[in-house]
Amino acid sequence: MSDAIIEFDRVSKIYQSGGGPVTALHDVSLSIADGEFIALIGPSGCGKSTLMRLVGDLEQPSAGGLRVRGKTPHQARLDRDYGIVFQSPVLYEWRSIRKNVELPLEIMGQPGPKRHARADELLRLVGLGDFGDAYPHQLSGGMQQRASIARALSFEPAILLMDEPFGALDEITRERMQLELLGIWDGGDQRTTVIFVTHSIPEAVFLADRVVVMSPRPGRVERVVPIDLPRPRSFETREDPRFFALVTEVREGLREH
Amino acid sequence: MSSIQHSTFKIQHFLPPILTFALAMAAWESLVRGFDIPLYLLPAPSQVVATFMERPVYLLGIGLATFGNALVGSLIGCGLGCLVAAACVRWPLAADGLVPLSVAASAVPIIALSPLLGIWLGSISPASKVGVVAIMTFFPTLVNVYRGLSSPRADSLLLMRSYAARQRDIFLKLRVPAALPFLFNALRICASLSMIGAVVAEFFGGPQNALGVYIKTQAGILRTAEAWSAIVVACLFGLLFYMAVVAIERRALRWKL
Repeated sequence: MSDAIIEFDRVSKIYQSGGGPVTALHDVSLSIADGEFIALIGPSGCGKSTLMRLVGDLEQPSAGGLRVRGKTPHQARLDRDYGIVFQSPVLYEWRSIRKNVELPLEIMGQPGPKRHARADELLRLVGLGDFGDAYPHQLSGGMQQRASIARALSFEPAILLMDEPFGALDEITRERMQLELLGIWDGGDQRTTVIFVTHSIPEAVFLADRVVVMSPRPGRVERVVPIDLPRPRSFETREDPRFFALVTEVREGLREH
Repeated sequence: MSSIQHSTFKIQHFLPPILTFALAMAAWESLVRGFDIPLYLLPAPSQVVATFMERPVYLLGIGLATFGNALVGSLIGCGLGCLVAAACVRWPLAADGLVPLSVAASAVPIIALSPLLGIWLGSISPASKVGVVAIMTFFPTLVNVYRGLSSPRADSLLLMRSYAARQRDIFLKLRVPAALPFLFNALRICASLSMIGAVVAEFFGGPQNALGVYIKTQAGILRTAEAWSAIVVACLFGLLFYMAVVAIERRALRWKL
């Protein structure tokens, strides 16, 4: 694929542990197009987080080739090509919410007034316009995660890596956050490429253009389910018979092996 | 941590300890009077206060001299502790050797070195007192600050890595702020330790105008009320030092309130 922004070519990852080598990923080939929303789903130990971290150069593959925007993941990281959101918000507790969102801009050397304005703009975007001066511990889990998403988007990275970002939230907050995330993703001039790791089948189907179903021991890609639900997606999407059909298809993919 | 939880001064918080203190003083006073305890054994609080009022400027003056040693000693000890802690984070090999030793050293009565420091640095000179205090405060500061600098969790560090942050930024924007609560914990310990160190070091000799020397001399000739009035001054300076640290802590860690 010529417009691929991320290209896995027979990538394997083997960890050396006390009980001998453990294969976290085996022979994974996957091509992700620019602007695509990819959900990675699978049981614990299937290597979906590892796959994501390889893209971020937070871990190194043991074998195979991986290109991110035509570069090595290392160079892509140095070029600040991606923003990352973890399962926990990982906000720095001594910084106000605004200062947390500014952190990457600060490190990348943007001048104060400019990054201040940018942080406020993003906080409004994620519905935290009034909370810039608050400290993380004063916010609910959902609000903290919104701030963490704002921080990841602050420097307009081409790729957004999300590692179970809504995993710790209650169901109601979670569904609202999914909708908000799509609103932000759809709203920009140019769609960011998203890799979204999740445990939840409906979440994967609701959000993604393609769901990558993975299986464990060793972690590998079981099947890729294209999601042809129309965009923009809404609360009604979850009541669409096609939604249920796709949820079933992903579930069956998880059951094979 | 508990000392900075209340952001406002409330009389309810101070009334119980003040009442307890007043009760203890009243009990002491009536015991001494009721049993007719001779002055050289135990003076009543009123006698101690009266003795203090005879020469308050002199007593506060020698208190200030001793406090000066405590302050300079802890500045040196805590400052070096911070520097070595930072070096330990930079060179983990140094940490493996130094940190366990420092934990052990924190449990050793370093004050026992006092007479030796007198030999090395001159028993009359303030250098030997400052030296004792510096050694006493060095180890707890090193241990606490090292723990603080190492306290950021893996995800916090990965976040910095994802921004391709420089080591300097990781240190200044993550490790140092994360270590501040640990540093203040150390400083509160050192505020108490340093006054003990400075006074006890003077028991082994020192200039005439110093608290420890005065207490030892007066006690030696059974002028117990005079000794007690100097002990009260030592308590006063110790308390003030501690409260000053807490006040700075409240300002520096405002995000915790």
